[in-house]
Amino acid sequence: MSSDSQVVVRQIDELDISAVVEIDERIGGAYRPEVWERRISYHLRRDPETALVAEHEGNVVGFMLGDVRSGEFGLEEPTGWIEVVGVDPRTRGLGVGRKLAEEMFARFRSRGAATVRTLVEDERGELVKFFASVGFEPARLTALARTI
Amino acid sequence: MSLRTEQLPSKFHGAVIKWRETYLPDYPLLMESWEKFFPTEPKFELCAFRQMGMCTTIECGEHTGKPKYQKASEMAPETAHHLYGAIRAQASTEFGSIQQHRLTLARAQNEEEQFWILRMMAEELRHGYQMLHLLAEDDWTSVTSESTEQMIEGILSMNTGSHVLSAFNIDFDSFVDSVVFCGLIDRVGKYQLSMQKVSAYQPMAESMPKMLQEEAFHLAAGVVPMRRWVTRAASGDVTITVSALQKTINKWLQRGLEMFGDERGGASNVKMGLKPLKNYEAQQQYRDEVGKLVRDLNLRYLRARVPSLTIGDAEKTLDRILAGEVLEGVGRDDLLRLPHADFFRRRGTPAFTMIGRDGEKFDDLGAYARHLAQNLPESYLANRDFSDYLDLLGQVVRGETTPEVAAAKSPTLRRVGGACPCSKAVRWVVDEPATIASPVLAGA
Repeated sequence: MSSDSQVVVRQIDELDISAVVEIDERIGGAYRPEVWERRISYHLRRDPETALVAEHEGNVVGFMLGDVRSGEFGLEEPTGWIEVVGVDPRTRGLGVGRKLAEEMFARFRSRGAATVRTLVEDERGELVKFFASVGFEPARLTALARTI
Repeated sequence: MSLRTEQLPSKFHGAVIKWRETYLPDYPLLMESWEKFFPTEPKFELCAFRQMGMCTTIECGEHTGKPKYQKASEMAPETAHHLYGAIRAQASTEFGSIQQHRLTLARAQNEEEQFWILRMMAEELRHGYQMLHLLAEDDWTSVTSESTEQMIEGILSMNTGSHVLSAFNIDFDSFVDSVVFCGLIDRVGKYQLSMQKVSAYQPMAESMPKMLQEEAFHLAAGVVPMRRWVTRAASGDVTITVSALQKTINKWLQRGLEMFGDERGGASNVKMGLKPLKNYEAQQQYRDEVGKLVRDLNLRYLRARVPSLTIGDAEKTLDRILAGEVLEGVGRDDLLRLPHADFFRRRGTPAFTMIGRDGEKFDDLGAYARHLAQNLPESYLANRDFSDYLDLLGQVVRGETTPEVAAAKSPTLRRVGGACPCSKAVRWVVDEPATIASPVLAGA
């Protein structure tokens, strides 16, 4: 396969739903079209410019959904949040995730955000490693949860 | 880059509010229900948004690199005339679609889908408002003798039957129309807005980004329900079938193709820097995109019908079915297909040629009429729009008129006079909307 210079990042659209469903299935093994139809519809309503896909050789090979929020979790300043990222396992090594992150950071900055945040489960070592590779560090926020 | 918020002068703002009360009576319900259906999303606001910090030099055409026009008076008269037509046509489509959707909104089978369409209608109102703002804030006396009041009244007076573009003069017959219209006709809107984003007229270009952002959801409000519907159809749900969806696609796609204008036109818009693509180029891209939508829907259907299919074999199975095999009990006729580009056309190069859904040629008018009747929604066959088309087709086939003249008469105006809530005057009358089909939207 060719290098990351041929990975093109653009805003997601409704015709990318099938590709995102496929990437999710390749990663997790489950076919979940309803989940992505609802989720991508939400992002298209809220702020489609911070919902991205990466294309390689004309095919969608990765996606990243995020948005800029403020006033949540005691964080008053506009903050870019990356909610989900997925890269087709067959295209690992092309720098797809990095390209998506760089474009997302630029879009967050244009919306006034100076910080980007995300939450990753501890056991998702590969994801932690990816975010570290694009400059993320542990933040002084503690994720809390309980069953109800 | 930041957004600037602006409002129309109060008398025009009030006229739009009045129009909304007439044609979007469910607006208060949308506002009351906003938190339920769109929690965490900014509430709708009726205003004009202008994106600041955009490119200030002309991006295409013979004046590339020169400063963009801030005022219509800075342009050559021909350019200003094209631009005025584009703004007027764009405004007409925005208000026109609300008038169409309101007929079938209550027939939605699903509350979420209903509120998606309702929100979309409110945003189309804002898009119309945005176009009125362009007319109200500039001086258009170089291209029209109408005052600002007359221009705005003219647009707010339009109704289904008297809009600039034919797709907005066809009544909806069911909520399937509503959803398919979003997926197909709003897609044309996306192309138009994308092209206008590079307009040499700076206020037009600055108006586009927010409209495009909202349009992205309008397409989803069509495509996502269609994806859900093919899944239901695959499970044997009789309330929505692939056949009903196919016939509705056949009804609207051809009108969408015609919204790009005559296949031979559009060069002057490119030359003037108002658009980057000629009509045929944009039309081809659009049709390819709809082809992708149809394939996605077929894949969604197939995987719902045959849950044992894996990610690896679904595409291959689909290709074999499309090639004519029957696999897992699914054949070619169970799936959606993209109608031929020349099928059921009334404008452009193939206007009033008798081409079938799959590209087959017809010589006999009766046979072609029966073919159309088999491939269009049954409820549409009783529509005046369809009978007018058949009348004109008959005249062309018998040599009583030419395709060009017939195209100019499509669709015949059915409703004339003003329904403008800001005036009691019945002043605005157009005999043949096609003759004022915008040079920019419909192609020069």
